Amino acid sequence: MSSLFGALSIATGALGAEQGALDATTNNVANANTPGYSRLRPILIESNPVVEGSVTYGQGVTLQKLESLRDPILQLRIQDETQQQGQLNAFVSAMQQAQVRFTSSSSDIGSEISNFFSSLSQLSTDPTNLSLRQGVLTAAGNMATVFNNTSNSFTQQQTNIDLNVTQAVQQVNALTGQIAGLNTRISQLQGVGQDASTFVDQRDTLIGQLSGLIDVSTIRSDNGLTMTTSNGSPLVVGGQSFALSTQTNASGLQDVYAQGVDITAKLSSGQLAGSIEVRDQKIPALLSSLDTLAAGLANALNTANKTGFDLNGIPGGNLFVPPPVSGKGAAANLAVQISDPALIAASSDGSAGSNGNVAVLSAVQNQAVAGGQTPTDYYSNIVFSVGNDVSNGAAELTSSQLVLNQLQDQRGSISGVNLNEEAANMVQYQRAYDAAAHVVTTVNDMLYTVINMGTLTG
Amino acid sequence: MSSIRVNPFPMPDLVAALEQLQQQQINATLQLASGSSINKPSDNPAGAAQLVKINDLSSQVDSFQRSISAISGQFSTADSTLSSVATVLTRAITLGVEGGNGTLSNTDRQAIAVELTGIQSQLLSLANTSYQGQYIFAGTATAQPFVLDPTQASGVRYAGNTGTNNVTIGAGYQLQVNLPGSQIFNGPADMFLAINDLIASMYSNSGISAAVTELGNALTHVSGQQAFYGNALNQTQSQQNYLSTQSVGLSQQQNAVAAADLTAVASRLANDQTAQTAALDAIGRMTQTSLFDYLK
Repeated sequence: MSSLFGALSIATGALGAEQGALDATTNNVANANTPGYSRLRPILIESNPVVEGSVTYGQGVTLQKLESLRDPILQLRIQDETQQQGQLNAFVSAMQQAQVRFTSSSSDIGSEISNFFSSLSQLSTDPTNLSLRQGVLTAAGNMATVFNNTSNSFTQQQTNIDLNVTQAVQQVNALTGQIAGLNTRISQLQGVGQDASTFVDQRDTLIGQLSGLIDVSTIRSDNGLTMTTSNGSPLVVGGQSFALSTQTNASGLQDVYAQGVDITAKLSSGQLAGSIEVRDQKIPALLSSLDTLAAGLANALNTANKTGFDLNGIPGGNLFVPPPVSGKGAAANLAVQISDPALIAASSDGSAGSNGNVAVLSAVQNQAVAGGQTPTDYYSNIVFSVGNDVSNGAAELTSSQLVLNQLQDQRGSISGVNLNEEAANMVQYQRAYDAAAHVVTTVNDMLYTVINMGTLTG
Repeated sequence: MSSIRVNPFPMPDLVAALEQLQQQQINATLQLASGSSINKPSDNPAGAAQLVKINDLSSQVDSFQRSISAISGQFSTADSTLSSVATVLTRAITLGVEGGNGTLSNTDRQAIAVELTGIQSQLLSLANTSYQGQYIFAGTATAQPFVLDPTQASGVRYAGNTGTNNVTIGAGYQLQVNLPGSQIFNGPADMFLAINDLIASMYSNSGISAAVTELGNALTHVSGQQAFYGNALNQTQSQQNYLSTQSVGLSQQQNAVAAADLTAVASRLANDQTAQTAALDAIGRMTQTSLFDYLK
């Protein structure tokens, strides 16, 4: 049987439910600009009815819960793309620094090689002229210096990137620690049936940051969340995090270790992978190309100088300090051996005025001295390969950025707070609240009437 | 709800679009400032590699041209020196023919002999001509090539060598730049010996005509040798023309690979600027209001 008190209780319940729903709106509006926030939606359900005979009395409304709107699959795709982007970003920005050295200008390796051969060409017109001879030595010195500087700048960059790797590993460890902490709180809350969406949002944000740094696979299970690197090394298992460590390798660079296993070469995305690719592959390849070119040039020019005679009629010696046989470090240490311009072996027959050997020296310009190519061809290939790396990387980065933006759009369309929507909801809840309050007043009036009814008859 | 929910936060997208526009404007400005569409290898990797080669070729052409300027001076000096030698020899022959005239007295012939001795010194001086501190008829030696030496029949000894130098004035184009002095002055017909003989014949009044013939041979020979320098000058001249054409060709290649299309870049820049203004304007308007503003 329905009663006035029953009606009063339904109306009061409605007041509570609408107020709860308004709480969701309030929280949404408050967090409209909070990164990673997923909007809340109140889940209102009908209360269980009371059945009396043939009549079923509704018992009003219940606010079941405030639900957080998120798409876990989309979240995973965002993580993947973030990893991709982290890698490309690190790669492209490092290679952009590297390519500056190859920007065609008056002082890159290519121009200094040209200048050196040009100075030889001048010497051939007047082989006894000491200032022309000095010109050759100066040009040789400039060529050596640009090799030294270029090579050293790459080594320096490698050291800087190495520092980035160490820092990134520290960041990864800090993040996995925090994620493990959040895992514990989330499972505690969920264990007692409470809503953990605030912490889930925070965790998603941290996972996003982690994805920028390293490749992670995320597995969600009943007992929480497990994260591993793509080769399976655990980073976070439930409430426990596993720190990565770094160890100095034979080249003096830091290798990344997970649980005692070297995973340096296995990282496939994230900033770490991009940095490591440049540090361990691109820069060493560049350094070795420069060494090949420097050693090839120095050896060929030394050989050529030895076939002739210097200004004093003495057989020529080394023009450059002979590079190491392995070629390693040839570019960084390239140096002119002689300081006396008279020692340039311009003469082919021992007479001071002969220029016959200058042609032998000049011929090096068209000899296959490095990798079966002439110095300029070899150098132009280095320029191409660096430029190509940057340009491909930048193109991939742009498209990855587009994909990520789209995914973020999609996430926003599901989880983002739309103020218009919130305003509309607010009005709706307010009206319902007003109405419920009116019902309370009305029932109150009715009760008053009923109570006074006794007074009238008595 | 039937309508599609849109992302309420378009800002990151819009900011990304703005960044893209700004980057394009920076690139365009850089191209306009440098006039080149390749300002770093990644702008056009293949083009940048090509530029390295073109720049190298262009530097080679420059050095060929500089070499030509350097050796042309030497050629001109040698050419005009040998002209003077021919003039002096002609004068000696004239004197010889005069001296061979039977009507001359001993005194007259001695006077001619004195003048011929002067000519001998002139010849010696001409044979020792130098260009920028370098004797041009010494072969590849550096010492003074012709020195007085009474032990020689001609009175003059060649102290140079028979070496010759080549200078590269084009890809694979080597030009011989000198003739050894011995080949010019001693050659098959030794002019120092001839003039020595003529002087002696003036004093002895015998064998004058034979000595004049010797001198004539020397003159013919030296004129032939002079042609070498004339030819060399011609060759450098035509090579210089060829190199200029090549240099222009290389500049054109450079432009084809790297020159920025200034009109296109400028109009792209203008478009990007307009787009940016429009985007900024749109962003400025779109975020200002929500339903909240209309609720009283």
